Amino acid sequence: MAAAKHLSLLRRAIPAGRFLSTATAAVVDPPPPMVVEDDVISMKGVRISGRPLYLDMQATSPVDPRVLDAMLPFYLSRYGNPHSRTHFYGWESDAAVETARAQVAALVGANPKEIFFTSGATESNNISVKGVMHFYRDKKRHVVTTQTEHKCVLDSCRHLQQEGFDVTYLPVRPDGLVDLDRLAASIRPDTGLVSVMAVNNEIGVVQPLEEIGRICKEKGVPFHTDAAQALGKIPVDVEKMGIGLMSLSGHKIYGPKGVGALYLRRRPRVRVEPQMSGGGQERGIRSGTVPTPLVVGMGAACEIAMKEMEYDGRRIAALQERLLNGIRSRLDGVVINGSVEHRYAGNLNLSFAYVEGESLLMGLKEVAVSSGSACTSASLEPSYVLRALGVDEDMAHTSIRFGIGRFTTEAEIDRAIELTVNQVEKLREMSPLYEMVKEGIDIKSIQWAQH
Amino acid sequence: MRPSMTGLEISRRRQESIEFQSPFPSRSCFRSRSLMASAASAPSRAEVLSLFRSLLRTATKFTDYNVREYVRRRTIDGFRENWGLSDPSSIASAFADGRNQLEVAKRQVVVYSLYAPKIKNVMEIRSG
Repeated sequence: MAAAKHLSLLRRAIPAGRFLSTATAAVVDPPPPMVVEDDVISMKGVRISGRPLYLDMQATSPVDPRVLDAMLPFYLSRYGNPHSRTHFYGWESDAAVETARAQVAALVGANPKEIFFTSGATESNNISVKGVMHFYRDKKRHVVTTQTEHKCVLDSCRHLQQEGFDVTYLPVRPDGLVDLDRLAASIRPDTGLVSVMAVNNEIGVVQPLEEIGRICKEKGVPFHTDAAQALGKIPVDVEKMGIGLMSLSGHKIYGPKGVGALYLRRRPRVRVEPQMSGGGQERGIRSGTVPTPLVVGMGAACEIAMKEMEYDGRRIAALQERLLNGIRSRLDGVVINGSVEHRYAGNLNLSFAYVEGESLLMGLKEVAVSSGSACTSASLEPSYVLRALGVDEDMAHTSIRFGIGRFTTEAEIDRAIELTVNQVEKLREMSPLYEMVKEGIDIKSIQWAQH
Repeated sequence: MRPSMTGLEISRRRQESIEFQSPFPSRSCFRSRSLMASAASAPSRAEVLSLFRSLLRTATKFTDYNVREYVRRRTIDGFRENWGLSDPSSIASAFADGRNQLEVAKRQVVVYSLYAPKIKNVMEIRSG
């Protein structure tokens, strides 16, 4: 009787369906935190002596101090909701949002009424691709895009394919540029959208936006471009380039993370189906409270970018020259991925022949760079962008992307050259393949014996 | 003690004053515009030099390597770029702008120092 009572208590204490096991449950420990001792950081099995120098501007950029200065008051005392119509906090917040909207519009040559704030370029891309096609789903069933687009555009297109739409993924030439004749030929009467990104984030290639815009205007198809990497770096004008929709990102132009914008042309009007349902903020295009501090930051970043575009452009081009010459003067077998002429100077994607990619990255821990392949992740597949360019697998694995920005110094470039050249030389010394090449053997002609 | 100057010399000195474009653009609309009105008269050479030196001094106080170098470099390049400005109203507005930006920089020096990381940038560590 007492035993039954104990058992019932026990049953209530343990969730139904679980049996009591004597083995201790496997507890997953959180990853060990960064350990700092004697000014040496130890993290993920790597020891470095200080914070690495940052050369990964395409991943994200540091927030400009002027942008931070513009944002802080809205975290401290001006914290109102811009949609509050009834009191001063709301009015001042709304005024700040409208100022920021005008600043963003000025940078791209648009009307402020055509700018809508979102949570980032990914959301803007989603609204553009899925929103446009869903709105015109009865008449338009086809989308044209390229193979080198950002993952969010490609994934949205795949989503559309699952819903029954047709998508054409245009191949690119080996220099990364899209073939305009193929583009024109692939547009059908039922094409609802053409999406080509302005500046590629991996290889830095600048697509011929004006020509593409002209083709789309002739055929009467809205032209969407993902200008996240292009904003504030190359001049973008929605009128000259015939752009119908454009995705913008805040944290690529020295603004805060978590904010972006969408440009939607008003004449001729491009309609989209909203992806976020709610209170109808941002003219119903994107419901949700507009994050005033982030939006103010993006506006300030756009204003600064407009004033500094020429100065930064000149400087970054000179730094890219310096980096390229520094590496090329000491190493051979260095290949630039993507077109050299039609390229944004701040993005330099290099492949080093006869060097293994993973080991190259392991030796470059004092420089924060990105690799072209996903070999830092679980799969060893090289990046789809490099594959679309037709780059060999072994070269795709050794690609490194150097991102130069407003705050990069000559000393950092020199240090990056030192570290890269040293690491590549060290690896090539150990490489039997490189020895064979130096002796004059053509690697491709070797018959590898099978045991 | 300088010997007294003629009126002509004074105006010539004013013309020679180092013109500059502020390295930092103007702040958002919430900044009061009264500075523009008070700067209607062109600044003197001494004032301009003083602003230049203040900006450089403020630059050295940043704890972040990249920001420090940028402020220093942009100040020097900005002043050099606008050496030839001659229109007094543009000089005055640029000077007012520069003063605004000096205030921005001073505030940000404080903010950056409050959150400075404990580990230095590799560029600041003397390597062998």
